[in-house]
Amino acid sequence: MWAVVIIGLPLLAALLSAVVGWRRWMPWIGVGADASVLMVGFVVALRDVHHAPISWAAGTLRLDSLSAFMVIVIGTVSVLAAWGSVRFLDHDVRSGGSTTRHALQYSVLIQLFVATMLLAVCAANIGILWVAIEATTITTTFLVGHRRTRNALEASWKYIVICSVGIALAFLGTVVLYLAAEHAGGTSLHALDWTWLTAHAHALDPSIVRMAFGLLVLGYGAKVGLVPLHSWLPDAHSQAPAPVSALMSGVLLSVALYAILRFKVIAVASVGGAYPRAVLVAMALASLVLASLLLVTQHDLKRALAYSSTEHMGLMALAAAAGGPLALTGLLLHMLGHGLAKSVLFLSAGELVISDGTTSISDAGGLMSRQPSLGGVVGLGLAALLGFPPFSLFISEVTMVRGEVAAHLAWAAIISLVALAIAFAALATHGRRLLFDAKVPGGASARTPVSVMAPLVTGLALCGFIGLSAWPLGPILRAAARVVTS
Amino acid sequence: MATLSPWVVGSGLLQVALFVVGAPLLLGLMRTVRCRMEGRIGPPIRQPWRDLRKLFAKGRTQPERSTFFFASAPVVLVATTVVVVWLAPLLSTRVSLAGGSDLFAIVFLLLLGSVALSLAALDTGTAFGGMGSSRLMTIVALAEPALLVAILALAASVRSSSLSTIIVGTLHHPIWLATPQRLLSFAAFVVVVLAESGRLPVDNPATHLELTMIHEALILEYSGPDLALVMLGEQVRLTFMLGLLANLFFPWGVSLSAAGLSLIVGVLALAAKVAVLGIAISAGEVAMAKLRLFRVPELLAGAFMLSILAVLSALVIA
Amino acid sequence: MKSTSLPAALLALSSGLVLLCAAVALWRRTAKGIVGALRVQGFALAVTALILGVQLHIALLLVTAGLLVLVKAILIPVLLRRIVRLDPTGGETDPVVNVPASLVAAVLLTLVAFVATRPLVDVVPGVPITLAPFGFATVLIGFFVLVARRKAVSQMVGLLLVDNGIGLVALLLTTGVPLLVELGGTLDVLLVVVVLRVLATRMHAELGDLDLGALQELHD
Repeated sequence: MWAVVIIGLPLLAALLSAVVGWRRWMPWIGVGADASVLMVGFVVALRDVHHAPISWAAGTLRLDSLSAFMVIVIGTVSVLAAWGSVRFLDHDVRSGGSTTRHALQYSVLIQLFVATMLLAVCAANIGILWVAIEATTITTTFLVGHRRTRNALEASWKYIVICSVGIALAFLGTVVLYLAAEHAGGTSLHALDWTWLTAHAHALDPSIVRMAFGLLVLGYGAKVGLVPLHSWLPDAHSQAPAPVSALMSGVLLSVALYAILRFKVIAVASVGGAYPRAVLVAMALASLVLASLLLVTQHDLKRALAYSSTEHMGLMALAAAAGGPLALTGLLLHMLGHGLAKSVLFLSAGELVISDGTTSISDAGGLMSRQPSLGGVVGLGLAALLGFPPFSLFISEVTMVRGEVAAHLAWAAIISLVALAIAFAALATHGRRLLFDAKVPGGASARTPVSVMAPLVTGLALCGFIGLSAWPLGPILRAAARVVTS
Repeated sequence: MATLSPWVVGSGLLQVALFVVGAPLLLGLMRTVRCRMEGRIGPPIRQPWRDLRKLFAKGRTQPERSTFFFASAPVVLVATTVVVVWLAPLLSTRVSLAGGSDLFAIVFLLLLGSVALSLAALDTGTAFGGMGSSRLMTIVALAEPALLVAILALAASVRSSSLSTIIVGTLHHPIWLATPQRLLSFAAFVVVVLAESGRLPVDNPATHLELTMIHEALILEYSGPDLALVMLGEQVRLTFMLGLLANLFFPWGVSLSAAGLSLIVGVLALAAKVAVLGIAISAGEVAMAKLRLFRVPELLAGAFMLSILAVLSALVIA
Repeated sequence: MKSTSLPAALLALSSGLVLLCAAVALWRRTAKGIVGALRVQGFALAVTALILGVQLHIALLLVTAGLLVLVKAILIPVLLRRIVRLDPTGGETDPVVNVPASLVAAVLLTLVAFVATRPLVDVVPGVPITLAPFGFATVLIGFFVLVARRKAVSQMVGLLLVDNGIGLVALLLTTGVPLLVELGGTLDVLLVVVVLRVLATRMHAELGDLDLGALQELHD
């Protein structure tokens, strides 16, 4: 029942928006729906710590501790993004950037997008998971192309073609896994069920599971933004409107990684730890190194943030490869912290577009003197992203490295730290230029409205809070990590 | 096993005689069909024989600086074609030479004839000769492998490269005709036949413009008996390839023992099948246009791909 | 199913036709020809499902066959027709990889598919499984079309080839996945085609033609 409520709330918001038509207060419907989702997620997660998973609809939807935690992550980031959409849509409609029809389409699609992500994490079987993730691609394509410029068109075309290729590979992997399950005695929908698969994983034929896992990691890895099917990410995340980029970078990538985490459990039980680990380590390190190196040469803030997302996904994939309770707890905390920090930064970039008309780092330089409050937020957000305490990314990164060392992946952890250092230097330089190197020195400083600052400060505060305090997430994280520890 | 029974030897000679006499008649038939479909009456069916007779009565000419390549090519062409006709299982599956109906031997003999003609064209020292020679080699380079691999796909199911074994095997297992490798191989074979014999869409046999054609540029310098031999050789080749196509893919009527009644049945069946195929090709030509020359490699590459797919299917499904 | 029986031969024929259509999509130059190959492939897929359903007495597969005809052989080519008509040059006049080279590449990819699916074929017995390489080869050829062709229609067809190849593999390997997943998969493919169609129409309105080589501004 809870699962239906969780998925139903954003769907209801979308329906309501479509019925009501465009009003100035309409985006607040979405904010309300997402906040409710967050609260329900918390309630379920706290319950789940002591109870067993809740399932519904003849076993097609299930909420266990990991799903509940993912619901919290999705809820948090979507509240921030929906909050930011209020300002974005208001300005967009008023300045004539989009018609009211486009604004309505945006609002409906965003809530549908959130609903499909929630469906993916509440899915009880791998078929529903696949359908949900394919649905996220379809709903986001038009969101990426919202601005109807040539570059946005190119970005959305590339996005849907590459992600559809990845999803097709994931479907093939799902079919091959189903074959293995059928061979081990599963029937129809049962053979696609997570619990059944995890319980019977040792009985699945290893060579078939090997092929299936490779295809699944390649396919869903495309949605995570891992090498080799990663080239859509910088384009899509830089051309999309800021709240959409926040949602995609902050949480869609993590949802795809969640899928890979679940599959890894099955693969490890069937073929042993070495092969899944090797595949994930290879993709993680390649993504990390590539993203860090490319981060150095960026001129555009949003594109730099997109590469930073790829880099963080590589970090998380490395922790996923390590397995073990320590690395996985760090991974899950990192999902939430990265989601918060990234969405704050993308929303600030959106505000930059509104006030300065550009996100080019050199053109928008000297932000600190022009809009001190916005500059302060960007500075703190970058600090959070770079892993400074007290923000939670510090703790999560340290925990992930400790987990990797404990799992005999110290060499990979060292490579990741080197890549992180390069990315640190690159982002810090970009940040310094953005905040302090004014193109035209000596301009007047303007005030950023409180309504704009509110979501940004909230996000930063939350990020700092979860970095400092083990409550209330501590037991939730532990229970969630236990689900995917193999 | 060496079989020199008089029936087998006789059937081999009968094969050669039939093809040499019948090839120009087949060409006449094809021309008549095309003419009738285009609304004309056209020449009588034995017109190609009348042309050959006229040419044999004329004198020879030879370009000044040409060597024995030019002089010998017509003879080599006819000789290789006659040997191929003698060796192939056209009337019966018992062949005069033991192991003679080997796929590789037949394809390489055909290639030898093409190469001889091409060298002769180069030998003339004219621009047209060089042009025709290079065009022929482009086509042959793609078509011969396609032919080889296409028949190899058929050979995979009987595990032998002898054409007789393939035909006998197909007679015993008619179900093989419904397999993908047969159909793919058939498609590739048809394209190769059209390419090798210079029919549409590769080359237009009805015109005589050497600038746009392949065949005409090659034989530009030949006249008299040489030209007659070259024409006869090419006609026998066309008939031979149609006969091979008929027997490999629709083998009913082929004599298994090369004796008496079955031999007569074999002659009639072969004649009927070759005539039907010839008429079909002619009728199809009326509806087709010639491909531009740079598109021809695309067509032949496609045929090669079809034949490789046929082999892969044969390996998977066998 | 005996490997020398008529149903097995027919199954081999229809699976082979699926692969052949993929190769023909590489061969043809006109947009209409490429979409026509896709349509025939849809029918071939449906026939495969039909043969499997009749032979193994699984009613679900007959429903799947009907679904395949409706969506892949009829609906999707109709949706693509608009994009075919929009293209001013009428096809691939300047592909990234020329046609003979593409065909040789298709042959190599088929070989790779046959070799790579050896372990699968060895582990699981049964006639349908031996035909799985045809499906994998179609997937690889679909990827190649995505990379080697410039026009919007060709990229859409490449994506659909990948989907059809996976559909064939699913049919042969597992004699059909549960209906829910099949429906979800087909609906998703349909939606992707609709989305791509809208994007292609926008592209035509913006750029005047459907050449994706003109959309190369975003890169590092």
